[in-house]
Amino acid sequence: MNFYQTEMNRIKRTCYSNKEQIGTVVGVRNFIEDNFEKQLNLSLLSRVNYTSKFHLMRLFKKYYGLTPKQYLINKRIAASKYHLKKGMPVAETCYAVGFESPCSFSTLFKSKTGITPAEFKKKQLLQSECKVGAGTLGTHPKN
Amino acid sequence: MKVTVTGIPVKDQDKALEFYTGKLGFIKKIDVPLGGGNHWLTVVAKEEQDGPEVLLEPSPNNFEPAKIYQQALFDAGIPYTQFSVDDLQQEYDRLLNLGVAFSLKPTVMGTVKLAVFNDTCGNNIQLVQML
Repeated sequence: MNFYQTEMNRIKRTCYSNKEQIGTVVGVRNFIEDNFEKQLNLSLLSRVNYTSKFHLMRLFKKYYGLTPKQYLINKRIAASKYHLKKGMPVAETCYAVGFESPCSFSTLFKSKTGITPAEFKKKQLLQSECKVGAGTLGTHPKN
Repeated sequence: MKVTVTGIPVKDQDKALEFYTGKLGFIKKIDVPLGGGNHWLTVVAKEEQDGPEVLLEPSPNNFEPAKIYQQALFDAGIPYTQFSVDDLQQEYDRLLNLGVAFSLKPTVMGTVKLAVFNDTCGNNIQLVQML
């Protein structure tokens, strides 16, 4: 067994010995992954594995380094990038990933990525046009 | 400030390019000759071609401390870096079929599943699936 494997075993023993807690947070994370576009809140998530709201928040943060709300926002922002790249309108994207207001979606998107969803979409469109242009000229952008 | 490039030291850039594209499935993005047989050589994930680039840097051949550091990490089994996958078991099976050697088989560690393979360029690389 090398040094890394020895360290992994130590961390497993000291940080990941509580199988019940891990089962709870993994279950909640999977629930978020499968239902992020729906209206989720801490009360609903706490009912997934029958834990109290604040206990769940602490456990989730302990094992994933983020609160369930932060995790949900990151998931929705990632999903919104996917939709915007595919050409979905900004307002439609907002609702498709579970945000309730296009205005707060834009603000949140900008705080996470540095640009608004509309700017992001425009940038993606320009990039794909450049790729098509380069392909037409025989200078594939990958090379 | 943005993270656009992260480096991995490699002993042989040609061999590294072959491994990272042929086995791992990355795509060559930039290849600029720098003289002395060295290149500014980057690859990107196929699914995220405008994402961060991995620089396959020939530092072990040009800077002795880099060579020593790389060797020490390798001997201790410590991964130089890690890549994320959606299904670790599937990726492990795929790479195993391509002849990639693993020092750590898929192992659950709390909220992640991990595996470590040899990139044949002097590094251990970790694959991670979040559970």
